[in-house]
Formats: sequence, C-alpha cells, structure tokens
Amino acid sequence: MSYETLSDAVVKGDINTAKEETQKAVEAGDNVQDILDSGLIAAMDIVGDQFSQGLMFLPQMLHSAKTMQECVELLKPHFQEGGVTTKGKVVLGTVKGDLHDIGKNLVGMMLEGAGFSVIDLQVDVAPEAFVAKVKEEKAEIVGMSALLSTTMPAMSQTIKALVDSGIRDQVKVMIGGAPVTAKYAEEVGADAYAPDAGSAVIEAKKLLGID
Amino acid sequence: MQPLQVPTFEPRLKVVNREQALAIHTAALEILEKVGVKMEHAGALEMLADAGGHVFDGNWVRLPANLAEEALRTAPRQIILYDHNGQKAVPLEDHKVFYGTGSDTTFTLDLETGQRRSCVLNDVGRFARLVDGLENISFAMSMGNPQDIPNVNYIYVYSFAEMIKNTNKPIVFIADRREDIEKIHDVACLVAGGEETLRQKPFLLNYSEAISPLRFPENVVDKLIFCAQKGIPICLPSGSNAGGGAPVTLAGAMAMGIAENLVGLIVHQLAAEGAPFLFGPNVSTLDMKSAVVSYGCPEWSLTQAALADMRDEIYGLPIWAFAGASDSKVVDAQAGAEAMFSIITAMLSRCNLVHDVGYLEYGSTSSLEMVTMANEMVAMARHFTAGIPVNKQTLAVEALERVKNAGPGGMFLTDDHTFDHFKEALFLPNLLDRSRYDSWEAAGSQDLYKRSNQEARRILSEHQVTPKNSNVLRDLDTLLESL
Repeated sequence: MSYETLSDAVVKGDINTAKEETQKAVEAGDNVQDILDSGLIAAMDIVGDQFSQGLMFLPQMLHSAKTMQECVELLKPHFQEGGVTTKGKVVLGTVKGDLHDIGKNLVGMMLEGAGFSVIDLQVDVAPEAFVAKVKEEKAEIVGMSALLSTTMPAMSQTIKALVDSGIRDQVKVMIGGAPVTAKYAEEVGADAYAPDAGSAVIEAKKLLGID
Repeated sequence: MQPLQVPTFEPRLKVVNREQALAIHTAALEILEKVGVKMEHAGALEMLADAGGHVFDGNWVRLPANLAEEALRTAPRQIILYDHNGQKAVPLEDHKVFYGTGSDTTFTLDLETGQRRSCVLNDVGRFARLVDGLENISFAMSMGNPQDIPNVNYIYVYSFAEMIKNTNKPIVFIADRREDIEKIHDVACLVAGGEETLRQKPFLLNYSEAISPLRFPENVVDKLIFCAQKGIPICLPSGSNAGGGAPVTLAGAMAMGIAENLVGLIVHQLAAEGAPFLFGPNVSTLDMKSAVVSYGCPEWSLTQAALADMRDEIYGLPIWAFAGASDSKVVDAQAGAEAMFSIITAMLSRCNLVHDVGYLEYGSTSSLEMVTMANEMVAMARHFTAGIPVNKQTLAVEALERVKNAGPGGMFLTDDHTFDHFKEALFLPNLLDRSRYDSWEAAGSQDLYKRSNQEARRILSEHQVTPKNSNVLRDLDTLLESL
C-alpha cells in the first residue's frame, strides 16, 4: 500500500490530515502494521533525513513526531496481541543523582519516531531500577543520559548492576549527555555512544542490526 | 577664563525601557504567585511555608510577591570580592564590569598540539595561572572538568585547590553538594586565615544552578543555604534558555529565569538576611538544529543587557553575565566575532560579573588562546566604553597652534602634547596586528590564533604567581589527602 498523503501530512506536522488519513486506512481494513511501517515510520525516516541535512528545525521535527504519536493512538485499538512489531524495546532514563531531562526526552521521541518502543524511567534512575525494568520488559537496549560529570559514574554503576544481575549480555547499553564521550563509553563498557538524539536512532539501529 | 570642564559621557547600551522592565518583572511575580516552583529541599520548603508560601501537590510552592520584594530589599546592593591576600579586587558596584573564565569544559585545546583533548587537573592550574597573568581577566573559574581526579566525588575540591595554588585573583567555584562545598569552605578558610576573615573579605563566589523549568533540587538548595549562612557570595541562575528550559520568546524566558532567581534569593535571604547574592538568570537559546545551548548567539547578550536595564530600574543588585565565548570548534573568525560581540555588549550594558571567557564549542571546549585573545578584546571594549574626554588638554588647540607655528617641519608626532598623551588617548594593541605586510610576513605570517598561542605560552612560562604561605600549602595537601 502507498500512504503518500498520510506520509506527507506527518512530514508537514499536519495533525488533522494525518489522523483523517489514518482513520480512513483503518476503516478501509488495511493492515495496521502496514499503516505503521509504510505510512508513519516511513514519514519519520524522511523527517530524520531532512533534519540531519539541516532542512528542518527541531520544533518541526518534534511536531512531526507528535503527529505520528497521535496516529499511533488511533491504530492501537486495532493492534492484535503480538501482532504489531516494533524495531525494539528501549529502556531510557537519566542516571541516579541527575535531574536533567531535555536531552533524554529528545532521544525518546526520536526513537519512538523511528519505530522503537520506549519505556522512559524519567530522571534520577537508580541502577537497580534500570535492571528491574530491563528484566520486566525484556528490553533490547538500555539508554542512559547524564548532564553532570559528577553523575557520570552512575552509568558505570548501572552497567555493573546489569552484570551482577546476570543480564548484561541480553541487553545493549547506549549512553549520552553533554560530558559523555566516546572514550568514556568505551571505558565503562557501554556498547554505543550517541552525542545527540539523531545519532541515538542510528546507534540503536546498529546495535540491533537493523538497516 | 574658566578651564573647560565637560563631564565625559561613557557610552551605555539600553535595550528595554521602564515599561518593558516592569512588565517582565510583573510576569516573574505572577509565575511565583500562580504557577509556583518545585522545592525539593524540605527545610527550604518549610521556611517558605512559614514565610507565607502556599505549599501544594507535595513539594510545589506558590509565593506571594511581597516575599520577593522583601528579599530584594534585604540583599546587599554591592558585593566586593577580594584577592587571596585580602586586597579589594572585584568591587561589584556602580556599573563596574569584570570578566573571568568559565567552568566544567570536558575538553580543552592542547597548547602544544592544538588538538582537542580531555581536560586534566593540570589544565585547571594552567588556566588559573594564565588568568593571574592577564590584566583584563579579573577572576578565575576552573575551566576544565579534570578527568584524572583520584576521587570524582570531590572533583570540585581538587579543582578549587588547584586554582588556589595558581592564582591570587578571586575564584568563582562550582560544588556539587553540602559535603564538597564544606571542604571548599575549609580550604578557603585556610587561605584567608580563618572563617571570620573569609566572611569579611571573601575571595570566592559560588556558582550553582536550579533546573529550568521551576525545579529546585535538594543538593542545590543545600549549597544555597550553606553559602548564605557562611557569607559566601553566590549566584543561582538556571538553564532558562529560550526554547529549551524556558519559553522560546525572550520575554517569557527572562520572566521565568528571573522568577527562578527570585525564589533562590527568597530562600537565601530567609536563611541569612543580608547575605550577598549575585542576581541573574542565564537566558541563552537552545539551537533549533543541534539542540545545544548557544554561547555565541546574540540573544544571550540581548537578555543580559535587558537584565542590566532591569537592575537599574528595579532590582538594584549586581548581576551575573557571560561573554567572550563561542560555538565554534576552533579559534577562528566565528570565535573572534562571537567573543567580541558578547564582550562589547556586556560592557556597554554594564553587566557586572561576566564569566565564560575562553569557551569554544558551546562550552564543551576551553582554550587558553581564546582567553588570551579575549583579554585584548576586553581592553578594546574598555577603551571604547570610556568615551571621549573633552577638556582643554584633549581639545589641544594649543598643540595645533604650535605645530602650525613650527613651519614646514612641524608635526604632531614630534610635539610634546603627543608624547604626553598618546598612551591614554589611543588604544595600543598587543596581539591585534597592524604591522606592515613585509614585517608581518617576515615574522612568520601568523594569524591571531598563532599569536595568542605564543602569548599564552609566554605568560605561562614567565608569569610568577605569588606563592601561598608554605603552612597553608601543607594544610591544603593534608586536606586533599584525606578525601
């Protein structure tokens, strides 16, 4: 199926048209997974490309992401149990002791836009809380953010907690935030480092071998 | 005939009028009264409630405007920072403007290789020593966030001690929480020769941040109360950058940032009435492509100029500001343009304590060359801002007559008036190059970055920092070893 009008509406952030088109497709009996993949996620891929080329600004990109989310809400009642697949489950949070969340929120929205399912633990997340959620959700990726250099050690503590609970090899670890560097990610044994929200999507896909 | 006496007008930039200033202030008070803030420090919440604040939804609190007015009334109108020997160094009063470095960069440009690399403790020392040797840089911050600290929990104590060893200028310092700020206070007492002397002649000021929008974490408020009680001057801006931590429109971002500042001030004055508080939010912008907080944008200069106007119209407290920084990754034309823009506007609008001089890469990288270069930009700005003195000497009609009467060989360059006045009449650059092409080429065709690099190296190798007393240094090392 082609969802050109729907995709265009998502790219433009035209919420009304996008919702109408989604509703139409659902009523026409289209496959929900197809609407999601070919209509919504395809549009967000375009948005991601345009943003990374500097053709789109953050508020426009986030407006597209919001448009997509509203459409997904319309699709949700029609999801069969286990019938819709996402690119992967990501548990996300700002580490213990750190209350900053703007960067982490951007990463979450971008990942959702790219088709990942995101469980956001918010801020000041203890290592044990990351571990518990990863276990509960059987998440494929855990993403940690820190803005303060004094809270960066909590990243390594969380990785250690994943090791101690025996699930380190079942989950990929991605970290980011202003003071975090690629070198630091390597030192603490993270699997990926993402300097911004756009690269978080690219790294997440790489980690799971997508595209 | 009376000698000609004309007061000198010193150029001053104004960016908002009284109506605008009052409207922003009113909006800030409305935020306190109607929206409230999230106060995560139980003691402060209780103080606010006792003073008339209305607590709701757990630790949210709304504050009546009179609390802000009262805190503005009791906070001192001037803050004087001393050097480490108890001499007056940075009097934050009467529209005086002082520049200094910033803190917490992850990287620095290596002076030898020019490469961007992680900061180490030695960099903190080198920046402090450079500041000590630069005439127009008046206070030191750590600049680097050192990666080679034995115990990261006390990173700011190590940085503070390193600055103590490398400069005698006032220090604006960072701390994380009660435990490390207590240690830093201990170090400062060692240097000053006791807690009471430090209180009388503080050589340090704490920089802490609330979290925009409207959030006051426990550890931050703990530091605020500690500083109030110990008489350590403090500023408490928040990240109220337009579009990120705050509304995208500058008036709204300012109103919110000021509201947050007023909450800090209220808690501070309730904890210790009359304790010194430096006013001012950081209202920069969130870049709409990269999501970085810009350090080169014109908006930040505009909002702090507006705050200076509001200080004059309403607040009366000395203010905190930024300048001499850039979003550029290297010391290039962009870095020069952005640094100069903020330096000259901060001075023209009479911001008081101006930090972040020497930042590159939106505050992620520091550069000794940038600080050195900015030192000269500040000198340029000071020359401009001093205006044009008009009197008999400067009008110099007599000198003109002498030159005319000297006949064909007469010229100003040989007249005594020129000899007597050229040093203060003209700006005499040091790093900015005005040499003739041939001599510039013969000297290696160096650009400003290269010349700043050489000047920074020269200062670091030649400048002698007056050493601290050996007992102080011994006690300082003992304290560090105990961490």
